[in-house]
Amino acid sequence: MRSVSDPTERVHPVRVTVSDDLRRSRITVLFRLLLALPHLVWVSLFGLAAFTLAFVMWLAVLFERRAPASLHGFLAGYTRYTVHLTAYLCLAADPYPSFTGGKPYPVDVEIAPPAIQGRWGAGFRIVLAIPAFLISSTLGGSVALGSAYGGALAGGFGGLTVVVGFLGWFASIARGRMPRGMRDAAVYAIGYGAQTTAYALMLTDRYPDAVPGRVEPSPELPGHPVAITVDDDLRRPRLLVLFRFPLVVPHVLWLTLWFVLVVAAAVAAWLVALVLGRIPRFLHRFIAAFVRACTHLFAFATVVGRQFPGFVGREGGYPIDLTIAPAARQRRLGVLARLVLVVPALLLASAYFGVTIVVAVLCWLVALATGRVPRGMRDLGAASLRYQAQAYGYAFLLTSRYPDSSPALAAPPEAPPALWLEPAEVV
Amino acid sequence: MRALKLAGCFALVVGWVALAWILAGSVVPDGLSLPHVDVDSVFGRDLVDRAERYERLRLVLWVLGTLVTLGTLALYARYGRRFTEESAAGPLGTGMLLGMLGLAIVWLTQLPFAVVELWWSRRHDVSEMGYLEAIFGDWVALGVTFVSVCVALLVVMGLARWLGSWWWIPGAAVLTAIATVVVFVGPYVYPGLERPDDPGLVARYERIERAEGLRGIPLRVESVSEQTSQANAFAFGVGPSRRVVLWDTLLDGRFTDREVDVVLAHEIGHHSRDHIAKAIGWFGLFALPGALLLMLSTRRLGGMGSPQAVPLALLVAAAWTLVTMPAQNLVSRRDEAEADWKALQATHDPEAARGLFREFAATSLGDPSPPTWAYLLLETHPTLEQRVAMADAWAARQGG
Repeated sequence: MRSVSDPTERVHPVRVTVSDDLRRSRITVLFRLLLALPHLVWVSLFGLAAFTLAFVMWLAVLFERRAPASLHGFLAGYTRYTVHLTAYLCLAADPYPSFTGGKPYPVDVEIAPPAIQGRWGAGFRIVLAIPAFLISSTLGGSVALGSAYGGALAGGFGGLTVVVGFLGWFASIARGRMPRGMRDAAVYAIGYGAQTTAYALMLTDRYPDAVPGRVEPSPELPGHPVAITVDDDLRRPRLLVLFRFPLVVPHVLWLTLWFVLVVAAAVAAWLVALVLGRIPRFLHRFIAAFVRACTHLFAFATVVGRQFPGFVGREGGYPIDLTIAPAARQRRLGVLARLVLVVPALLLASAYFGVTIVVAVLCWLVALATGRVPRGMRDLGAASLRYQAQAYGYAFLLTSRYPDSSPALAAPPEAPPALWLEPAEVV
Repeated sequence: MRALKLAGCFALVVGWVALAWILAGSVVPDGLSLPHVDVDSVFGRDLVDRAERYERLRLVLWVLGTLVTLGTLALYARYGRRFTEESAAGPLGTGMLLGMLGLAIVWLTQLPFAVVELWWSRRHDVSEMGYLEAIFGDWVALGVTFVSVCVALLVVMGLARWLGSWWWIPGAAVLTAIATVVVFVGPYVYPGLERPDDPGLVARYERIERAEGLRGIPLRVESVSEQTSQANAFAFGVGPSRRVVLWDTLLDGRFTDREVDVVLAHEIGHHSRDHIAKAIGWFGLFALPGALLLMLSTRRLGGMGSPQAVPLALLVAAAWTLVTMPAQNLVSRRDEAEADWKALQATHDPEAARGLFREFAATSLGDPSPPTWAYLLLETHPTLEQRVAMADAWAARQGG
């Protein structure tokens, strides 16, 4: 499997750092939106000033190729403030944020000082930023971009952070803690939103990096019975990209028929698991193959995967694959309540599905133009598919482990065994 | 063994000829001589000129499009195998991918011709379809075509992997069976068909139905007036799924009730003479030698069981379709002529038939007497001149 992070890549000038301990004050969580009202008024005014000055900044970068330090400092402060506020709103952090963005915060952002920028990139910045805006609005990671809370809440549904905030609210009220995976998902979205804001405000000419999990420290992703492996390259033959949707029609028909049988199998599995505390191996294999085939198909349809997938969901049969652990014992109570318990996971899966769709459209366009997909988008798409597969695996009783909301693509590789002895041991 | 094979082949040929002879039967009297029709006086010189101009470019586009298709498929047969690397779907799935990609490439190369043809139709007020609608609407049709080619390849490749070089005999049979299922199910899933809301039309339809010895075949209306001003109708389905469908452009007042009755009688005539079932029979008859040709031509590449053979198979199938097109159209023209004859028998109204065909020429700009090569190669119906002549011949037989 390919490594998620490549140590040879340059560090992004806009980096998110996390020092949050996941504990939440129930009382501030309960009234979070009301408490945030002053901030919501203030962020509008702050934003008005920031976007006005961004125009001056644009002219300055266009002519001088470097942002004036004072303007850079002001807009960096605004970006940092929006990070704090977004984290507060979606429960990725607990303390009430300051109104200036100047003080340290558990979910914070480091922005590099002004650097030389290219004139062409600066001149067309708003146009170039459109794909990033699209991804950012689907992730809902910045109040600065408006869509996260204004648009999404007004529409009744929306970005990933809106769903995370909604579900996290219940979890935090009940347990006094934010689930780690959800916090990490929100932090990822916030980080991407911060990079997009900084790019749009001319703080940097580095394009936002969509690779999931690039924060300090890296998000955890404990081992899960349903895991994704990515062993695909980034090249995409244009002909297959152009006809991607008609090409998947036979698969869609096939999987629709298969789905009918899988629903029947899942009902049978549910009844058997209620009695025996585990689902029969043949049913597990049958349903697992279906979930795997769906993942293969979604990967291909969304241009996240390169090759035309098979029809039977064979393990190891596709470069973006699922490994699904064999059937194991499950608690009967968990099985009994599965239909209720799965609802939050399905909600989050629908948010990740939205992300997948945006990634698909962008990957399709980029691949058609360049014959390649950007690694960040490919990995984001794969991570979204991983969560959806885990959610369906949980719904269909393949596992009793709840899906992990973290945006990380895969569990970090274990430390390799030492090839030499430490000097102390030699002694 | 060799003698057994020869005997089998002989039996197959005899069976083929016998079935073709049975299917070719017609109620149009043998030796019916069609009287001369003065095209200019029936259709008007202006209309004939316009229709000829309209058809001329369409024929040029067809010739160019066909050449480009064959050229494209030839290139694909040569280089298409490299796409096997883009599949993780095993031999059958890879074959499907190669089949779909071949069609996709052909579709792409045909797109300019389709756009020019649409522009030409719009210029002559024959079509009102928008360019985007034509291009993106076609993607749905392309998806359906992809599914069809996948099913066909699944059958052919599956049988070829199982039976080796003898796949072509059961292959043709299975494909014919699938065609039968598609024809049967088609009317049940065809979208946008409405019951007619004119009781008078329904009453006339039922009267004609009884006159042709049938009962209970539903009449439906399809709304197409937003896309085209052309008038059309068709019969489809077999057994209980049989339907007669009128385009709403036939009912917009340009055609008289008597002319619409001729159309209804013509379509019911298709059902009364079992033309749809016969068409399935003909499909089977053409599929058999086509499958044999596929088997022989792909042997060098490992046969139809190998996905590597699919690009070449597409070229062979396209060439086979082109070569057999005159024969298939001959069959179709015989059926259409028979349906015309049945319509005249049922309505006893040759004057309405003449009026209908005149109106068809005006609304669809069909050339009443196209060039012979185009007639032999492309026409699925008798020419409008021949259809008027048949109405005249029927009237003459009745002493009118």
